[in-house]
Amino acid sequence: MSATAPSRRVARPDEPPPSRFGVAMGVLFVVMTALSVVSTGFSLDGIIEDLGRRNDSISGLLNIDLSVITSTRTLTAFVETLQMAVVGTIIGGAAALPLALASTEVGARTTTVRWLVRAFNNVVRAIPDILWALLFVAMVGIGVLPGLLALVFFSIAVTTKLTSDVLDGIDLGPVEAADATGAAHVAKLRTAVVPQILPAYSSFLLYNFELNLRASAVLGLVGAGGIGTRIEFYRSAGRWPEVWGIIVLFFAITFVVERLSIMFRRRLV
Amino acid sequence: MIQFSDASVTYAGGVHAMQHLDLTIEQGEFVVIVGLSGAGKSTLVRAVNGLVPLTGGSLQVDVRPGRSLGGRSEGEPTSYDVVGLTGRRLRDLRAEVGMIFQGFNLVKRTTVLNNVLMGRLHRVPTWRTLLGMYPADDVELAMRALERVEIVDKAYVRASNLSGGQQQRVGIARALAQEPSIILADEPVASLDPPTSHAVMRYLQQINREFGITTIVNLHFLDLATRYADRIVGLRNGELVFDGPGSAADEHVFRDIYGRSLTADDVMGEEERGGDAEAVVTPPTSPA
Amino acid sequence: MSSTRQQPPDQSTDRTSDAERVDELLRPEKPTEVFRWVVTVVVLVLLAWGLSADIKWSRLLEAPGEFATIVRLMFRDPDWSALPGLLSAMWESIAMAWLGTVIATIFAIPLAFLAAENLVPGWVAFLTRQVFNVLRAVPEIILAVVFIPIFGLGPQAGIMALGVGSIGTLGKLCYEIIEGLDDGPIEAADATGATGVQRLRWAVVPQVLPELASFAMYRFEVNIRASAVLGVVGAGGIGGLLAQYIQFKVWERAGLALVVVVLATILVDAISGRIRRRIIAGPDGTGDVDGDGLPDDLDPDERARLTTDPVGGGAGLS
Repeated sequence: MSATAPSRRVARPDEPPPSRFGVAMGVLFVVMTALSVVSTGFSLDGIIEDLGRRNDSISGLLNIDLSVITSTRTLTAFVETLQMAVVGTIIGGAAALPLALASTEVGARTTTVRWLVRAFNNVVRAIPDILWALLFVAMVGIGVLPGLLALVFFSIAVTTKLTSDVLDGIDLGPVEAADATGAAHVAKLRTAVVPQILPAYSSFLLYNFELNLRASAVLGLVGAGGIGTRIEFYRSAGRWPEVWGIIVLFFAITFVVERLSIMFRRRLV
Repeated sequence: MIQFSDASVTYAGGVHAMQHLDLTIEQGEFVVIVGLSGAGKSTLVRAVNGLVPLTGGSLQVDVRPGRSLGGRSEGEPTSYDVVGLTGRRLRDLRAEVGMIFQGFNLVKRTTVLNNVLMGRLHRVPTWRTLLGMYPADDVELAMRALERVEIVDKAYVRASNLSGGQQQRVGIARALAQEPSIILADEPVASLDPPTSHAVMRYLQQINREFGITTIVNLHFLDLATRYADRIVGLRNGELVFDGPGSAADEHVFRDIYGRSLTADDVMGEEERGGDAEAVVTPPTSPA
Repeated sequence: MSSTRQQPPDQSTDRTSDAERVDELLRPEKPTEVFRWVVTVVVLVLLAWGLSADIKWSRLLEAPGEFATIVRLMFRDPDWSALPGLLSAMWESIAMAWLGTVIATIFAIPLAFLAAENLVPGWVAFLTRQVFNVLRAVPEIILAVVFIPIFGLGPQAGIMALGVGSIGTLGKLCYEIIEGLDDGPIEAADATGATGVQRLRWAVVPQVLPELASFAMYRFEVNIRASAVLGVVGAGGIGGLLAQYIQFKVWERAGLALVVVVLATILVDAISGRIRRRIIAGPDGTGDVDGDGLPDDLDPDERARLTTDPVGGGAGLS
């Protein structure tokens, strides 16, 4: 760089061609959108037309029935949902801690254990909550039990993943120190590893509880207990004002729970 | 001509950043504003293009399109009363005033050329700018601006891939692409090392001399100020405490302006290592 | 986060003023672990309360046996004849996820600008955020349930459920990015006399576009998972077949369906993840292939200066 010779000429570069990546993305976008429209029969006209037509769902929303909460069966279902979410979080969360530990280099005794646990975690995570519910309904019949089991597995998936991410970033100093004292494996994890992740782990449990509460609303759609069974009941009876009433009330409750949970989580971390 | 008359700026928090300032800057002058941080340097330059509105007094900015990169000669001299200027008129004024920033203020994720073309936004119809379809003349002008600061070879490189000094040259090119009558530079070298700083100051000086663009530069370093300024204006607590030719500003004047004895931080130092007669002071141990 | 939590808090400081006390008294008492006890009791009470729900525990004993049987039936002899139908249904799920994401993006990005406190008045941002919060709280499958009477059974309802449901999360992520953007270029655009629209196009969009595109891709991945189960309530895609096979215990097909869903999800994740990394890294990667922390195409003399002078000049590298 020599400012003293401003007349020095540098050749202007040619404009580079559009980046291949950019072009590829453009093509991908157009092709995917076109193929998707064709194969799903999606049409904007159809959407607009549908929205303009009178239908049970929207008129149900306009005549929303919040008094549905006074029905004993609905109230019971609400309580059931809360119970499912609580138990799912506690049991699933408790199982998640050792699973998360065993999936990391620090926590697993051998590589084989680590890979087995990781494979298990990946499979559990790949199956959505409602599929777990379907499977458990098929195994143990309809009711609260399959929903509970589904939430346990869902909680394992969520909490294990989040916790093991934190475990990857812990300070290895205390672990080395514990090794140096000749501590046993479990004792080492208990004193040098768990204390480091405890605040984050507790926060994940609360977060997981929020997710469980929300998930438990849909499990009932496939017969796995909770408030979803009431949504399904009113829906199949075509009683949309009640359906909307439950949905609005339920999300009012989840909103409150979420605020409380966020408050606690802030204090934890 | 830029004329502050009894101009004041008081910020919402009650800070008096400019107090009853009377200052006239003629077309084509190279003025360096010095003062401690918080003395009101930034406020002064930002008042000129209306980025900071005056809360009292008046400010008149006359622009006279002169020689420029694009050979622009059209346009009558226009006079702007900056106080209360809004909308189209304010943007017209800003288009005549190029600005260079301490943090370069480039869009790092786009090319150098696109950054320089931002200097043409006011001259190009909005729909063309939205599509990125700049007329060939404007692209040519941006290229010339880049050539002026010797960085045209990076035209299609993303700004994030440039060093600090290179980014500031792009910042100068962006201002130059506006074909401005006035250039404002707010601490243009505060983030740069001494050799790069001198280079940036020299570009500004050359542009000032060649195109007669009025140039106002905020600086903290007294050696840079005395070396490049035609005129030095000293501010303290938003008030004018010195106004004189660069040659008249010596160590005592700076002590007066800064209201304290000088420290090593007040001197940029030379571009080449080794003794240089122009190094004004090398103060001893003095706490910051 | 550190292991210091295990150490009792230092209580000796309040007492050191009394210098005559013997050493023993200077030792801190073991702090009472009220918090730990409260948490333990609360958790146990909640657990007991939760388990008091109307649960047929006897069925739980059958579960492991059933599970083993089902897994065996699923994978011993899969019904390959169902594969073409499953693949086309999976494609429908992917297509639904794609269109849902496109629709959500079209609505979320403009709305996100309305939720960014650095661009609009506070009350506008607040209202827009409440819309996002509501949309974020409702699971797609519930949206699908209420959309089916409007758009009919099939993918149309599913697409709309995914589209509307994603506006909330996508919008939230977007306005967080927008609020984190660098003000410098915005000021620079103002200083050139640019109009509001021009400022948006040249100072805001280039800064945020890569992240926005990346988030839209991420949301597509999430939507595929949701889309795969929407069919359970009749909103199109592979979920319908899956639910049918499981409910009617056609295990030799259900297993195949599960495998298709899991593999398709993993595959799309992998492709989309690579695209996202490429979007964020930019056309020239980080611009730093040799990993010395400086752009590779730096002028050699500038490089020399930057590497010898750790303080100066490096400001623009971030």
